[in-house]
Amino acid sequence: MKLTEDEVFQILKLLEESSFEELNLEMGDLKLHVRKHGSLAVTGGDCITTVSTPIGVSPKTVAEVKQEVPQTGVQETPSIVTDVRERGAKEVAPISQEGLLPITAPMLGTLYRRPAPGSPPYVEVGTFVKENDTVCLLEVMKVFNSVKAGVRGYIVKICAESGDLVEYGQTLFLVKPADKPEEKD
Amino acid sequence: MNIERVLVANRGEIAVRIIKACRELGIGSVAAISEADRESLPAKMVDRAVCIGPPRPVDSYLKIDALICAALGTHCDAIHPGYGFLAEQPELAEACGKYGIIFIGPSPENLRQMGNKLLAREIVKDCGIPIIPGSEKVKDVKEAIKVAEEMKFPILLKAAAGGGGRGIKIVTNWEELKATFETAAAEARVAFGDETLYIEHYIPNARHIEVQIAADHFGNVIHVGERDCSLQRRYQKVIEEAPATSISSDLRESIRRAGVTVAKSMNYRNLGTVEFILDQDLSQFYFLEVNTRIQVEHPVTEMISGIDLVKEQIRIASSHPLSLSQSEVSLEGHSIECRINAELPEAGFQPCPGKIREWIPPQGEGIRVDSHCYPGYLVPPYYDSLIAKVITLGNDRSEAIERMRYALKSFIISGIHTTIPFLQFLLNKSDFIEGRVNTRWIEEVLSNNRYQSCRKDPTTGGSRYERDQFR
Repeated sequence: MKLTEDEVFQILKLLEESSFEELNLEMGDLKLHVRKHGSLAVTGGDCITTVSTPIGVSPKTVAEVKQEVPQTGVQETPSIVTDVRERGAKEVAPISQEGLLPITAPMLGTLYRRPAPGSPPYVEVGTFVKENDTVCLLEVMKVFNSVKAGVRGYIVKICAESGDLVEYGQTLFLVKPADKPEEKD
Repeated sequence: MNIERVLVANRGEIAVRIIKACRELGIGSVAAISEADRESLPAKMVDRAVCIGPPRPVDSYLKIDALICAALGTHCDAIHPGYGFLAEQPELAEACGKYGIIFIGPSPENLRQMGNKLLAREIVKDCGIPIIPGSEKVKDVKEAIKVAEEMKFPILLKAAAGGGGRGIKIVTNWEELKATFETAAAEARVAFGDETLYIEHYIPNARHIEVQIAADHFGNVIHVGERDCSLQRRYQKVIEEAPATSISSDLRESIRRAGVTVAKSMNYRNLGTVEFILDQDLSQFYFLEVNTRIQVEHPVTEMISGIDLVKEQIRIASSHPLSLSQSEVSLEGHSIECRINAELPEAGFQPCPGKIREWIPPQGEGIRVDSHCYPGYLVPPYYDSLIAKVITLGNDRSEAIERMRYALKSFIISGIHTTIPFLQFLLNKSDFIEGRVNTRWIEEVLSNNRYQSCRKDPTTGGSRYERDQFR
């Protein structure tokens, strides 16, 4: 599930015009929490908006929201401060500038790049992946969880190796977006 | 067995407190943090911070598998659970045992015994310590009404799996009991995963007195005096003191001995707190519950005893004997702790998360501040609102109060609302100064809008927020 920046602004506007103080929206993996006044109307305090995006949502969209927000009409009330935070915040910003998308760890765990010892890795640099392709496994206390690409394109960098402890939100792979594999002659 | 590296499975001020204790012991520390705490002080202080999941506690601080995985992956040989979150869940202690990690806390068995309040009452009753008159498990409304009428209203309806002030309802008549029984059971099922309820006699003029216990693997059990935590709002402690000044020395000795007896009878090892309710009208005390963890208010005991309780707790977990015997425990002076929350008292103590602009904690003789905050820190909206504990020590109670007044007055916090003005208001009440309080005192002060009307009077108190308006 995705939200475009326009849709986020529409939601902010709807809340601003409504008599409600707070909005919690959950659609599949996406969770949006918007609050009008940080604590109370009387404080004129902060407005905390939290957007958590699902794995694989274009980080560019989120980054743009972050930049655009201060210029929108919703922001005309001067006392309101909006703080948009996204998953894997540390890694996302610089990478999006290069036009690459990260595949991030959906949980903390031990990374495995192969389905079984001796098998070939799920992906290598240059592999074309589709949204639902498994790119690696994460093991948490003997339970293996497959990590889906969530995006479509070419793996251009492998950022963690088998046996590494990876943190929640850590970048595992970088993907150069592409709709379909390039034709080879 | 020596502990070499500890995974701190908690956040906020207690994470900072644990990291400091580890440092003094020459032990490494790793902070397990949620995504919302990447910029928190514990994350900045430790050798390594590991992000274990999204902000919501169920996705991070309550995830046992992620914590174990983080501990193993960062080569920690122990986990400190702090207070709250998983501190009293036998499942974390068990998982630690399974993976060869030391759980800095009691055995899973002790956690189970004390986690079920009905079971705890049985164990304590068997060692001859008075428990609050009450029932066994009540299975339905009919049985509840029968028990309540025998006991006479008002009564307390309690969740067996509750504790720490949660899962308690005062019921004043049978219609009310009929109306609340089902919802109380449902709430208990959702909050604690166990809908068992029981009934306790309600003591209107009560004080909350608790004994600090330390017990090692060699059968040594000591107490480090008692604390008076009668000042509560909605069963949550607001101001705590040590020692308790409202009781005779005979009663004090009995309560301390009872605390040690409870710990010994259950073969307890770890720090612990045995809580009692003192009926001020009858000068009789009753067992309430055992908290099987380090407590928020532990600093007041540290101040009057000079013992570092967290270091002692880590030593116990490393299978070292207690560093001192009962006769070596010497308690001097009087200490008070005020819990400062990011809340707006005028608005029913609504939490006020947000960015802290100025943060200048008080300094001076006999003043200690435990906190994880700093200027520019964003208090996240996902967790409890405790932002600092101010602790003072004086030669006697009046000096401790005087120092607390000074400390709160000189604590500069801006950008968010805090409960400091409310705490100042309480410290100036003659009932507090002269010790005429009970566990309902704060609620009584708050009713009739006595606090609100006082806040409108410009001559009393003065929060930082209001002062900001005049700049």
